[in-house]
Amino acid sequence: MMLALGLSIVFALAVGITAARSRRAEGVILPLLDIFQSIPILGFFPLVIGVIYGVIPNVIGANLAVIALIFTSMSWNIAFGVYEAVKAIPQDYADLLNMSNASGWQRTRSLYIPASLSRIAYNTQTSWAVGLFFLVASEIITLGKHAIPVGYGIGIGATQFLANGDFADYTALIVALILVVVVWRFVFLREFALWSEKYKMMEEPREIHNDPIMKFYSWVNQRSISKLFLLAQGRGVTRFTSTISRFRRGIKYAVGIFLGILLLFVAGTLLARGGLSSVTIPSLAQVVSDEGWVLLNLGVSFIRVWYVYGICVLIGLPLGIVISLNFKLYDIVSPILEVISSIPAPILLPAIVLIPVLGGLPEAVAAIVIMLAIIWYIIFNVMAGVRTLPADIKELPRVFQVGRLRAWRDVYIPGALTGFVTGSITAIGGAWNALIIAEYFNPNGGTPLTETGLGIGRVIVQSTNTSSPDYTTFALAILSMTVLIVAFNLTVWRRVYHHVTKRYTYNR
Amino acid sequence: MPESSAQLAPGTRIVGVDGVRLVYYKDKEPLPVLEDVSLTASTNEFVAITGPSGCGKSTLLRIIGGLTKATAGTVQVLDSDVTGPRGDITMVFQNFVLLPWRTSLENVMFALSSRKDLTFDQKREKALKALEETGLMGFENVYPGELSGGMKQRVGVARALATDPEVMLMDEPFSSLDDLTAERLRKEIYELLINPSTSVKTVIMVSHNVEEIVELADKAVVLSQRPAHVAGEVKIDLPRPRNKKSPEFFAWVDKVYALLS
Repeated sequence: MMLALGLSIVFALAVGITAARSRRAEGVILPLLDIFQSIPILGFFPLVIGVIYGVIPNVIGANLAVIALIFTSMSWNIAFGVYEAVKAIPQDYADLLNMSNASGWQRTRSLYIPASLSRIAYNTQTSWAVGLFFLVASEIITLGKHAIPVGYGIGIGATQFLANGDFADYTALIVALILVVVVWRFVFLREFALWSEKYKMMEEPREIHNDPIMKFYSWVNQRSISKLFLLAQGRGVTRFTSTISRFRRGIKYAVGIFLGILLLFVAGTLLARGGLSSVTIPSLAQVVSDEGWVLLNLGVSFIRVWYVYGICVLIGLPLGIVISLNFKLYDIVSPILEVISSIPAPILLPAIVLIPVLGGLPEAVAAIVIMLAIIWYIIFNVMAGVRTLPADIKELPRVFQVGRLRAWRDVYIPGALTGFVTGSITAIGGAWNALIIAEYFNPNGGTPLTETGLGIGRVIVQSTNTSSPDYTTFALAILSMTVLIVAFNLTVWRRVYHHVTKRYTYNR
Repeated sequence: MPESSAQLAPGTRIVGVDGVRLVYYKDKEPLPVLEDVSLTASTNEFVAITGPSGCGKSTLLRIIGGLTKATAGTVQVLDSDVTGPRGDITMVFQNFVLLPWRTSLENVMFALSSRKDLTFDQKREKALKALEETGLMGFENVYPGELSGGMKQRVGVARALATDPEVMLMDEPFSSLDDLTAERLRKEIYELLINPSTSVKTVIMVSHNVEEIVELADKAVVLSQRPAHVAGEVKIDLPRPRNKKSPEFFAWVDKVYALLS
């Protein structure tokens, strides 16, 4: 995990600085980062395992694969942070270096890295939570015949203890995990963040940098996929200017990325099979019939993602508003929510399955896992949205003695809307990732603990989780899912986001 | 709900602030903000509260409006104690505080939403009338984001007027506006508020701009440094319309300044 984090930071620095310094690199890197963080990386895990394990078929290979996955899950967001930080360096500083004839490396060391530090620190806090999710997920996903021996790991431990009915050990493990999370996030990362404060170029409102939820908010805000397409070529993040040209560019990159993925996939397949034997090119008829099957499953998953999201909204939106309107409640509840939210949902899966009522209802189990993974995005963003509303506005219903219903309708809900939409975009993105574990979970190759009737996550895991992996179905499933998600982001989310930030953002 | 207001004799006390104290607690340490503040505002009187920055002028205004509870002392409006926000007192804010997701008309109607005695159409009528009075005819369906600062504040004033208030509180209403816009709005505001056709009986404005105070107010209440008490009151006996360039005007400005420093 630490290794992956270190790698992520180095990668992020390299990519972020390059993108910020060169216009051409910017045009390529930004859309790429955007796409990469909007597609469900977990879906590619079997592929990554296939490639790396194919080359190094032992414990080291398996561990490398896990590290690679965690790295993938964390680095985009940190890279964005670096990019924005370097972009935001005032021109004066660059002029200063120009006048002193600093070399590229000198610039990097004396300006770019220090300027990025606080953003790295701050993005790391949440990247860490995401990384933890993937860590657990990758450890408990087993891939058929490669019963991958990662060795030891918290995900492995959790499933094994439960498989043996070792509840005491399982509970101890969860407690230990929470402790580690608390210590790491609230001590180490916090110190890092505080230390990096002095490298800040600009003042931020006090309230924001002392408040973890506000930090989370600005992180999500800056990470959210929709922003990806809103990134202008100019300085930092601005509103998109020409919808059509941007849309076209987005599509162009998306297509390029699919081709790249396809290539990677072919390479992976070859390597996984030891480069040998028949690489059968599937017939067109088979592709068509497979795609039909994939689309059916994708449709089911799409509905699943949205109804779970709907439940999260019904709970998260009012809860977030109520909590943040009450200062005392906010102070008490927000750290608790933060700790709970940093427990990766997949690790609870083995326990959820054992709840008697749910045991027989795979749909409910899947829904709960997805919910646990995404509801935080909504709650935290709504909370932050309400908190950023000026106190005057929140007091308005009181000044004019407006009834409660009216106050919610006219003030609180619209006020929370920007945060809510940002949270929703991130939540839906997270839901697609969680889906892959939630729909088909089969530790230790035994009987599956969850197995929903239909679903793209199930198709993805199952197609590779057998002795004769079905690479055609796998590829179609991944591609179809990616196309759906990216198309949805480009069309629906972007428009909603634009509308909401235009009308529902409070600026004086 | 204006009751028989026109019959009130001039000089009748509308607002009475009596011995108001306010103490904040920071880390259990008492932090006195207001110390025994008393003032009155009478029929058709325009009162300005001023003082050094951070002395608690705005807090005092919030106490008068029932938004903040005083530690001790009372505020009376029309002979009844102010214990919380109420319909006959209204407020115009420094930063306008309009709902960005509602049009001008909807923003004004929002202030009327608690009025059970009016139908939707009556509220709409009232809101349109208030917008017309503040010079916003034709901007009913425009969102605040598309309005200039001066027009936003006009919506703020219209919203306050629409509620038929007896007491109008204004918290630095011109200080977020640029000079020219503020100048224009100041020229209109006195006529708009203090005239027999409105329900407004008295205006209390917080301001740190002494010229603005001398231009508008009948009485300036000057507060001291924290913890604030009333350092002095100046009755500004200058006939209207007031000429901002006349020597008399500057004499009054100097008088208020003398109390401030």
